[in-house]
Amino acid sequence: MRISRGLRLAVALGLFATAAACGGGGGAAGGSGDKVELTLLSHYSDGPSKEGLDKMIQQWNKENPKVQVKAQVVKFDDLLTTMTVRQTGGRGADIVSAYGLWGGQLMKANVVAKVPDDIATKIKAEYSPAALGAVTTGDTLLGYPTELNTYVLFYNKKILAAAGISKPPATWAELADAAKKTVQRDAKGNIQVEGLSLIQDGDNKSVHPFLSLLDAAGGKFLGPDGTAQFDNAEGKAALKFEADLAAAKATNPSIMPTKQFRSGGVAMAIQAGWWIGSLKTQMKDKYSSDVGVTAIPGPTAGSKGSLAYGFFMGVNQRSKHADEAWKFLTWMNEHKAADGQVTETGKWLADQGLIPPRTADQAAYKKSLSDPNLAPIYDAATYAMAEPNQPGAYEAKTALHNALMGVLADGKNPDDALAQAAKAVKPQ
Amino acid sequence: MTSAVGRVGTLAVPAQRVGKLQREGRAAYLFLAPALLFFCVFLILPFIFAIVLAFSDWGGFDLGTLKWAGTANFGDVLSFDGTFVKPILVNTLLFAFGSVFLATFGSVLVAYCIDRLAFQGFWRVLYFLPVVATVVAIGNVWKMMYQPAGLINGVLNKLGVNSIGFLSDASYALPSVTVVQAWASIGGAVLILTAGLKAIPEMYYEAAEVDGANSWHMFWSITLPLLRPALLFVLITQFIGGLQSFALIIVMTGDGGPVNATNVAAFEMYQRAFKYGAWGTASAMAMVLFVIILAITLLQLWVARRRGEETS
Repeated sequence: MRISRGLRLAVALGLFATAAACGGGGGAAGGSGDKVELTLLSHYSDGPSKEGLDKMIQQWNKENPKVQVKAQVVKFDDLLTTMTVRQTGGRGADIVSAYGLWGGQLMKANVVAKVPDDIATKIKAEYSPAALGAVTTGDTLLGYPTELNTYVLFYNKKILAAAGISKPPATWAELADAAKKTVQRDAKGNIQVEGLSLIQDGDNKSVHPFLSLLDAAGGKFLGPDGTAQFDNAEGKAALKFEADLAAAKATNPSIMPTKQFRSGGVAMAIQAGWWIGSLKTQMKDKYSSDVGVTAIPGPTAGSKGSLAYGFFMGVNQRSKHADEAWKFLTWMNEHKAADGQVTETGKWLADQGLIPPRTADQAAYKKSLSDPNLAPIYDAATYAMAEPNQPGAYEAKTALHNALMGVLADGKNPDDALAQAAKAVKPQ
Repeated sequence: MTSAVGRVGTLAVPAQRVGKLQREGRAAYLFLAPALLFFCVFLILPFIFAIVLAFSDWGGFDLGTLKWAGTANFGDVLSFDGTFVKPILVNTLLFAFGSVFLATFGSVLVAYCIDRLAFQGFWRVLYFLPVVATVVAIGNVWKMMYQPAGLINGVLNKLGVNSIGFLSDASYALPSVTVVQAWASIGGAVLILTAGLKAIPEMYYEAAEVDGANSWHMFWSITLPLLRPALLFVLITQFIGGLQSFALIIVMTGDGGPVNATNVAAFEMYQRAFKYGAWGTASAMAMVLFVIILAITLLQLWVARRRGEETS
């Protein structure tokens, strides 16, 4: 009897402690008196990205003493986990910055609030199709598009010239030929210079380059209902192109271009536009003499393709100060920079080497690009396939990645690998 | 009268004892309360929540969206069409069995040798160092050694062998990571086994020596049987650790690749829950892994008991 009473006491105390721990904070925002404090959770944790965002927040806080915004930052790798844990514990931020791919998941779990109609109408009218596509799930816009990245072909001008190639490849045949001509191996078979890298940095690293090639071939990744669309002639052609390069040992997924390209260890790489900023920093003077950027070619002359992925800033469905949060986001995304030509957010993104998602900003920057390599990246925003982001898209991407790696690293049959990946895609 | 007084006295003593025991019991529970509270909040409640989630469809974030899913999650997880049973569960068992086998074999050998060396403290510290080092440091050092231009391939190249993609080739990736896990866990096992070796009375060896037994006979007939309780502890703890481990894999292969070759159950659970928001499936996987660990641990205990070992 005493034991059961003791256990009951322990369980009761445990439940009390858990309830206290989970219930702390209660709302998504705090406030004292008339003053409202909004929290903004993002991955802009260092360098120009943090400085630019902090500058805007400081300006807002100065001009709006009654609505103060407080930035909370984590590394990108920890962003989704942090959002999950904090939201579940009732301490989610008022404004969340998220990767478009997570959009469906966040929408399904009631994390992001519906964009008010007047704001949604303006966003749809003023932002580029690629940026909108990357942050729209079904017909639902998730928030203000922020970062926009497109994929292009980076090449080392000197390595191509040394292999007798005078202009960047414009078709798959030329691309394969250039990759095979530029690859260099030592007597033991170790690759000294990789011909074409089909790997990007980060999560599911083989997918974005493949989807860019798939887009160039006229294919699609997922249908609107989340079903696999890549197991067809276009998908098979794109993967066969990659498989042939792997068989010829002109590509190797164990070589990371973000580490090897700058030292001449990779001749060509399909990468996102943000890479320009890193290359400029790492290669310094050699950047302008060595690095070229062009559109990712397709199977036939004149065809090209790319993938666009984006981030967005939306308002938490549980925020007690949603109106204030939307007011801040509207101000942040619409107010002009000091030159009066572009928005401050557009400038903030462009300064990081990213494409501003707003059409007018893009047009303004395209008129006077400081670096010719930026032109193909901006152009790609007009034709790139937007990364699908419905619930289940993340799992689909991982299934595709495993299939691609089976071909690139394990020599599996491309058709079988695609069929297996398509089977693993389960619409939700 | 005397007997009546005596009866009263004998009845009074137990009543006092009961009262004292009650007070002591209350005090004991009071002292235990922090530990019990900790146990409840961080172990029992999450475990109950995980069981509920295993039978639910939940995308995380909002508990209001939790829906009853019956056994659908278990159906998905245990389906042979999926990736959990094969290759993930198979990888998990191979990783755990492989690392336990290598670590146990290595640690018995090392502990036995150390027990016969001078400066035993120094050798124990040397072998214990990997246990003190972080998994991130160990994983990154071995990752560099496994690279195409790394130390191990450099040695192979010198011997005329072409480079091996230890972490990029699906056939080599799991064994490569298993070796590192075994290497990293030898130190802890060596400490326990050394203590076990020290507990074996010297007179058994002296008697065996008088009977003309050689070193091998002494190891096989004296050391190994008397080391069994320590070995059992090492086997059980290492095996449970091996089945739950995934930090080393994250560091060395990043995503459980290539092509799921190093993906293990604990890592897949983490991915499903935190990346895809599939908490129901992740919890169902956790339950399956829990049952497997429980079954294997009980099997180990049963085998040990049949051989007359003290296992309680």
